[in-house]
Amino acid sequence: MVGELLNAAPLLLAATEGAEEELSPLVKVVPGLMIWTLLAFGAAMIVLKKFAWPKISEVLDERQQLINDSISSAEKTRSDADKILAEYRQRLTEAREQADEILDRARKAAETTEAQAVEAGREKREELVEAARRDIEAETRRALDEIRKEVADLTVLATERVTRKTLDAESQKQLVEDALREIDFSSLAGGRDN
Amino acid sequence: MTPLFEQARQVPLRLWVAIITAFAVLALPSTALAAEEFEPADEFRLDPWIPIEIFGIDMSINKAVFYIILAAVLTVLVMVLVARTMKVRPESKMQTTVELAYGLMKDNITDSNLNPKMAARWFPFIATLFLFIWFSNMLGYLPLPTNTTHTMNVLGLELPTFAIYAATANISMPLILALVVWISYNVEGIRAKGPIGYIRGLVPAGVEGFMVGPILAIELLSHFVRLISLSLRLYANILAGHLLILFMAGGLVVLLGMGMVGSTILGLATGVLGVAFFLFEIGLVATLQAFIFSTLTAIYLDGAVAEEH
Repeated sequence: MVGELLNAAPLLLAATEGAEEELSPLVKVVPGLMIWTLLAFGAAMIVLKKFAWPKISEVLDERQQLINDSISSAEKTRSDADKILAEYRQRLTEAREQADEILDRARKAAETTEAQAVEAGREKREELVEAARRDIEAETRRALDEIRKEVADLTVLATERVTRKTLDAESQKQLVEDALREIDFSSLAGGRDN
Repeated sequence: MTPLFEQARQVPLRLWVAIITAFAVLALPSTALAAEEFEPADEFRLDPWIPIEIFGIDMSINKAVFYIILAAVLTVLVMVLVARTMKVRPESKMQTTVELAYGLMKDNITDSNLNPKMAARWFPFIATLFLFIWFSNMLGYLPLPTNTTHTMNVLGLELPTFAIYAATANISMPLILALVVWISYNVEGIRAKGPIGYIRGLVPAGVEGFMVGPILAIELLSHFVRLISLSLRLYANILAGHLLILFMAGGLVVLLGMGMVGSTILGLATGVLGVAFFLFEIGLVATLQAFIFSTLTAIYLDGAVAEEH
């Protein structure tokens, strides 16, 4: 029944042929051609199913996997980077705080040291001044003693010259020194109280 | 140097070779053909090249069989070669093109029409159908030395003239493919719902009472008509395209024989149209018909197993 239908349908196109006795294979159902088609199609389908589709599908799946992996890896890298950045920022903040602290401490230390240095300098100066004053006083005292001794000698000598009489040198000297002790030499010591 | 000469120099050497060869080839059959009577039907005549007969069936290798086998071989060769050299990172345009075709067959034709289980089972069938028809159609627009009815004499050798011919322009080829599709989807439907369930499923839901009989008859008829429509659509489209190209590219001029002036004018006019039809056929119809055939196959398969009609 199907065959009749098939042969009837192409009759519409048989008009172009003009030949009634034999239909062109174009519009005629040719069993040989159908069998060849079936064989060629079947063979192609089997070969493709065995050798083409699995391989193509495999490569495409592999690529899909690769893309997925790449996306995951990119996401991971990014989150890692974010983490590292956050950590870095945290550290930077800490470092800044530390730096500020160190600077602060250094400044304080410098101030302390400066103050200490100033203090030490002042003490040293005072010490030096004190030492100088002591030296001066000692020198003054020594000079005064010297003067005193000189004056006593000179007085003895002068008295001898005036009186032409030599007193016992020792008693003479005693006399002068007694007299000199009564004289105030304070003015020679630069007006300083003694 | 004159500008014209300069222009001529800029035309690559291989183009000159192509032009001269084309003129030579065109001149040869014209002398051979001029003496014979032109019969358009001869362009589609099937002379047995290698006569074979098995169980009383004429299985001779002829032009159509050659085109069918060539299409199958090309389908297999292209797909297997590309599949074998396929890389995760595409390295060739060929691979990209095949992947594009694979995507079309897998996503657009198969997966979008069938449920995943059916899609996995029928993808090899549908994809091969698409490629086989596509290669058959495309081969039909390549001029190949296959016209053994008219031969050309080249250096004393009788060689077949160049002709365009398509296996899909024979009703037998689309018809057997449609028959395979038709049997496949009906078998699939019966397997999914059982014979009675499948027949019952043909009647749309909501049809009750005395209307069931006539509706079932109409539905059954429509299924048989599918067989015809599926094959005729492909066949008629390709045949019409080939007839148009044949008549435009000289056939009409030879048939009408309007003398030197008339033939020149007609030849120029139809020649331009011929090129336009050729581009239309090769650029759209060949792929579109392969797409429609395989998409309808997927739709029929889905309709056969779908719960609701």
